[in-house]
Amino acid sequence: MEYVSPEGLRLDGRRPMEMRQIRGELGAVAKADGSAVFEMGNTKVIAAVYGPREVQNRSQQLNDQALVRCEYSMANFSTGDRMRKPKGDRRSTEISLVIRQTMEACILTHLMPRSQIDIFVQVLQADGGTRSACINAATLALADAGIPMRDLVTSCSAGYLNSNPLLDLNYVEDSAGGPDVTVGILAKLDRVTLLQMDAKLPMDIFENVMQLAIEGCKAIANYIREVRTFQLVLPVVEDHLGTIREYQATGVSPGHIVFLSLPFLKGIPSQLTLPNSAAQVPFW
Amino acid sequence: MVGLSVGEKHFIQGGIAQDLRSDGRKRFDYRPISVETGVIPQANGSARVRMGATHVIASVKAELGKPSPLQPDKAKVAIYVDCSPTAAPMFEVGNISLPCDKCHSVYMSSCSLSRSTINYRGRGGEQLSTELSAALQRCLLGGKSGAGAGINLSSLSVVEGKICWDLYVDGLVVSSDGNLLDALGAAIKAALSNTGIPKVHVAVSASADEQPEVDISDEEFLQFDTFGIPVIITLTKVGRHYIIDATSEEEVPNELGYLRFY
Repeated sequence: MEYVSPEGLRLDGRRPMEMRQIRGELGAVAKADGSAVFEMGNTKVIAAVYGPREVQNRSQQLNDQALVRCEYSMANFSTGDRMRKPKGDRRSTEISLVIRQTMEACILTHLMPRSQIDIFVQVLQADGGTRSACINAATLALADAGIPMRDLVTSCSAGYLNSNPLLDLNYVEDSAGGPDVTVGILAKLDRVTLLQMDAKLPMDIFENVMQLAIEGCKAIANYIREVRTFQLVLPVVEDHLGTIREYQATGVSPGHIVFLSLPFLKGIPSQLTLPNSAAQVPFW
Repeated sequence: MVGLSVGEKHFIQGGIAQDLRSDGRKRFDYRPISVETGVIPQANGSARVRMGATHVIASVKAELGKPSPLQPDKAKVAIYVDCSPTAAPMFEVGNISLPCDKCHSVYMSSCSLSRSTINYRGRGGEQLSTELSAALQRCLLGGKSGAGAGINLSSLSVVEGKICWDLYVDGLVVSSDGNLLDALGAAIKAALSNTGIPKVHVAVSASADEQPEVDISDEEFLQFDTFGIPVIITLTKVGRHYIIDATSEEEVPNELGYLRFY
């Protein structure tokens, strides 16, 4: 099967070095200490972080650092055919371990001894690259929770089909049986925290593919930095008379001054509420 | 979530007795509800419902299958609810320590008498999932004989006795802040209204013993009639009063009852 056409287009119309469209959003799960949604093309993942909090299982408590736990689960409807068992199967356990090790390398655990940080990742839609999307979502969620980290961890996958290195494989390309290299890096420090590969590659081609994946990671890191500080989402709630009753802003860090211009309003609310902060900002 | 102290429980009960809840609502006020359909592209139908901080997603998948021999003219519907670990830390698969039975403290970490930890896998989440699935099954599909079902199962049968549609309704609790049953009921109703069952053309020449050939159309879809699907409303008793749409703090110390409304 031809994964890269002679004109240089892949099955979904992308160029070999082109990543899918990415989108990240903070604050998806209101009850969690930090949460985020991350989409890479059709792969959609929610991450929630609870912590630092008291260790539930005393025997696992570490006296000099925080305990990081991670769980990965896929929704029943995430794949094309309905999955029977969303949790506890081997692949989920393996990916949970991988995400845990990756995030543990970047969290400053020595600052929070005898505590526990839980990272839960839920896959809503799976279309290849779920591992990478989970790590990116976990990074955003940890940032949303305010947990101190060395750097942002971003992850991207790359493969090699029809003699072309391809960036960000989707499900069809992933199931082709070719090599799939997943890389996770600390963006600014330029260090690799995760490197996994399925199948085989000759050494020189592997260098190329890994370099391509690292470029992808850096591009995602640039995007994530923008999400963290500048995104302002204003879903508006109107009552039956059409009067604006409620605004909720997400993704804005406290301490930022936000200027909004909102045309076409039917009513002016008296308050603008920012979640993640108890204060309510007077609106004028 | 840490349990509520006695003072907090009294505060909530006292407030409700005076028709004032912690977030300013009256006893019979709902939180702002938002419903979106079509959120899962690869499912036949899907919906997402948000009630305050409670966030659930429901999806409907339809596959062709064989009807049960007891009811050959009816389709099969399976409802399954999954509580995602993102919803609350107690829903994870893994080893969870039980409350200590020697000194009745809620968490092992605060117990100084007992060192034993009884481990079992994910019971918190699975128990709630099973309860929710069973409750929704009863509400939407009625009793064992099919009486009182919200969905018209006979309309989904393709060839009587041989082929029918299997509907898999999956609910996922993404974030839990009380009132899960109402949110799931609303999500399932919205997902079913969004569901398109592909039209099936059955090959005419088929003998009684063989499996008939079916051609599933990609173009034409049948819409579901969701008129008969109930809307679930949960009333929670706090002290001597009832409230609607309880948050997780209001649900904690109280007895729970639910009533089903059409």
